[in-house]
Amino acid sequence: MKRSLTVCPYCGVGCTFYLVSNDGRLVGVEPSTTSPVNRGGLCVKGWNAYAFVHHPDRLTTPLVRRDGVLHPASWDEALNLVVERLQAVQATHGKDAVMFASSAKATNEENYLLMKLARAVFGTNNIDHCARLCHSSTVTGLAETFGSGAMTNSISCFDQTDVILIIGSNTTEQHPLIGSRILNAVQSGTHLIVADNRRIRLARHAALHLRHKNGSDVALLNGMMHVIIAEGLADQEFIADRTENYAALAASVADWTPERTAAATGLAAAEVVAAARLYAGAERAMIVYSMGITQHSHGVDNVRCIASLAMLTGNVGRPGTGVNPLRGQNNVQGGCDMGALPDLFSGYQKVADPLVRGKFAHTWGVSSLPSEPGLPLTRAMDAASEGCLHGMFIMGENPMLSDPDQGHARTVLENLELLVVQDIFLTETAAIADIVLPAACFAEKEGTFTNTERRVQRLHKAVEPPGQARADWEIICALAERAGYGGMRYTSPEEIMAEAASLTPIYGGIAYGRLDRHGLQWPCPDKTHPGTPIMHQDRFTRGLGYFTPVAHRLSAELPDAEYPFVLTTGRTYFHWHTGSMTRRTHLLDREEPRSFIELNPDDAARLGIRHRDMVLVSSRRGEITTEARVTGMVIAGVLFMPFHFAEGAANALTNNALDPESSIPEFKVCAVRLEKMP
Amino acid sequence: MKMLHPDQLDRFFASLAPTWELRLPILLPDGTRVIGCPNDAPHSLHGAPVAGKPTAAFFPQQSTLFTVTDGAIEEPPPADRPLFIVGFHPRDLACLRFIDRFFADGCRDDCYFRVRHGAAIGGLSGYCGPAGSLIPPAGGDCDVEFFWDRSSWLVIAYSATGNTLIADLPETAAPEAAELFPQLAAELPDENELLIRHASALLRANRVPDLFWADIGDRCIACTGCNLACPTCTCFGVQDWRSAQKTERSRMWDSCQLDGFMREAGGHNPLGSEAERTRRRIHHKLAADPEKWGEISCFLCGRCDSVCPTGIGIISVAREMVARFA
Repeated sequence: MKRSLTVCPYCGVGCTFYLVSNDGRLVGVEPSTTSPVNRGGLCVKGWNAYAFVHHPDRLTTPLVRRDGVLHPASWDEALNLVVERLQAVQATHGKDAVMFASSAKATNEENYLLMKLARAVFGTNNIDHCARLCHSSTVTGLAETFGSGAMTNSISCFDQTDVILIIGSNTTEQHPLIGSRILNAVQSGTHLIVADNRRIRLARHAALHLRHKNGSDVALLNGMMHVIIAEGLADQEFIADRTENYAALAASVADWTPERTAAATGLAAAEVVAAARLYAGAERAMIVYSMGITQHSHGVDNVRCIASLAMLTGNVGRPGTGVNPLRGQNNVQGGCDMGALPDLFSGYQKVADPLVRGKFAHTWGVSSLPSEPGLPLTRAMDAASEGCLHGMFIMGENPMLSDPDQGHARTVLENLELLVVQDIFLTETAAIADIVLPAACFAEKEGTFTNTERRVQRLHKAVEPPGQARADWEIICALAERAGYGGMRYTSPEEIMAEAASLTPIYGGIAYGRLDRHGLQWPCPDKTHPGTPIMHQDRFTRGLGYFTPVAHRLSAELPDAEYPFVLTTGRTYFHWHTGSMTRRTHLLDREEPRSFIELNPDDAARLGIRHRDMVLVSSRRGEITTEARVTGMVIAGVLFMPFHFAEGAANALTNNALDPESSIPEFKVCAVRLEKMP
Repeated sequence: MKMLHPDQLDRFFASLAPTWELRLPILLPDGTRVIGCPNDAPHSLHGAPVAGKPTAAFFPQQSTLFTVTDGAIEEPPPADRPLFIVGFHPRDLACLRFIDRFFADGCRDDCYFRVRHGAAIGGLSGYCGPAGSLIPPAGGDCDVEFFWDRSSWLVIAYSATGNTLIADLPETAAPEAAELFPQLAAELPDENELLIRHASALLRANRVPDLFWADIGDRCIACTGCNLACPTCTCFGVQDWRSAQKTERSRMWDSCQLDGFMREAGGHNPLGSEAERTRRRIHHKLAADPEKWGEISCFLCGRCDSVCPTGIGIISVAREMVARFA
């Protein structure tokens, strides 16, 4: 019997637990009782996080496509082929004809290495990862307003606050060990404002549940700011001392009266006023948001409004306050921190800055690095269909299910000259790849993940990978070596982190020896720094906080006579993203075994649809069949679907309308039609 | 009665290694205490009951039942040596007694007794609770009990196996357990014991309305931790993993807090809400089991209360129930 302390591979909360193994096989999970994050508890996915690891579907050998079929191959053959073919694509079409997709499921060290491989070895900034699909709006919006696109406060702050505004986050289902803190806070007297038209669990505990129209967040937030200013509830001292451009903000919300806000949001004017008073009247108030805010064609504007609302009331830089975007994946924070982004090196250092490029080039031992920002992931599909992109290397992502407009994504991926996928299962994307590389999963390697509160925590290897599977970092190093680059010879992930920390000021003090108990929260600039639980305490990262006025823009595709419903997509508690792990976990898959769509009882009655009837859902991009779930969770006119299921895939319907600044797709609003299956 | 000085512990446990596969409370690097192998981390006999349920040694979270290869069925090989598990507090011993009887009743559970049969159990009690508090002695229900008297471990055997285990330890002149233990137990009236009996009585008298369960259910995030941490929860799910070479059947801890636990094939669920499932879970322990087995099957180990992220473990719920409906 052996126990290995590691970090949960599911959401961004970063719960730690021991994997229990016997004779090299995992037999269970035991939560860490001392973790400041999960305090001895776990969610249902965490309790079952061991269960997919030895599944017989695991990839155990490299696969190479010959005559249209994937055949087992040796590592030598597969690695050489990957390098040869990537180089061939670049020789024919140019350096930027290939794109690397990194992974928010992989470790910091692996994200750092893939970004180094793309830039130093293959000479392209075409590197991105699924943060593009979840919090790119946060990275852009908060970088502009605060100077840093991360959760400002810590998870422990939920125990110290008076009011929590939750907007666009189903926290008990998607960040359960934060959701549970919020439930506990309510028991202790904290007031909740839930702004989300789904009747999520937290809404049952809310002082105010605002069921505003999908895509009307800017109107709601501007309306709340109008009331706060009009009623003299703004924190003038904070505004004067800590911020700039307030006059423009005040002018921009001057005509967002409660009545106008009500008309734009579908709420009653009194609800807007009550929400503004409750939030602004608190001594300490937190804002929590997630993809309900970011995944819009105006996602960055939504984030700007949230930042303004917090600054307007002085709710930044103190315990129990802050702007708290909850990061989705276990290591999506780290993927961003490590520079798996087309315009940024690790630590959010710009590729456009020649001094920064010089620093990285010197350490990496290369003469130059590309200076033009690369392609965001969500523009890759269009770039490929326009003939600008011919090869993709995808590590631990499954865009066939996770990208919007699945039909378009499939056509593009199938038509690439080269598609390489490195993963733990033969996902829907791996199944159409030219070369598949088998990777170790979280339980089978060392490394670090960074959670949503910027806490860098260590993984400890519990069991060996199956068959010939290797850790992602080992595969990346082997590829670099075969591409003729000698600068990726590491004996352990610890060495990789030492190099990353030396180049990344916010990680400057991160070292494995300092992470053993409960990790460290960045910014952590040097080896004696204790880490930073609360950011922007005396000054914002950018100096003064910046108020950006925002105009309300409608969603890209609105319901009409032909497609009369709004479809909004998301996740369920029991599955994770494209289900490659959770759908192979018996209890989780038993709980939610199939695709479904939520519709309001009034709509169901009008259309003659009963609970559990099969329905046909169609949009301008595709159609699927799925099971109806008739429920008051959703308001009339709105449908909700999770995107986990390959059969009845929500992303066959969604719209690849992008935010112009963050390139995030509008997963939360598209127009669809619903019919009962004959 | 035998005695063991703290500095003799390691030698004593090491002397058993050739015959026994030893498990005892250990202190893991982050401060979590569990029952584990003595070589993996320093032993840690003092403190609250360990986090994981000690009965997991016999009924682990996941275990292989058998594999089928070319039509031949193969069960997991028996262990080289029987287990000797030290670290059961008296309440844990009551839990073990309960599930021993449960798994033996009717259709005997081979998988459980494959490991349980021949295993030796070591109880822990005395002034080794949190901050030196007294854990009342079990006075039985185990092969051997280790009682911390603030300077050494008094060691009492209750079975032939226990006598063999401690045969080489020196005798002590301390008062006999029969004199010492009832007196200590009497000094410790247990409020939680009264609470859980009171809650059980309320449930059995049908005095707890549905609205209460709706309130509790609203605070349940279906983490299933209460079931997974509970030493008397015995439900499991079964799965088959098929590959080209073999089929492996295994079972894993299940949870009655899950919708899929009771959902019918047609999709209907008679326990279709968290409220109904939470009521069922607590009703099972406090009302159904007393009828079936003659005792409440919550022995107040406190693990579900420790592991529940939202504060609705069974003791908390009982407290709320009594406060509202007594």
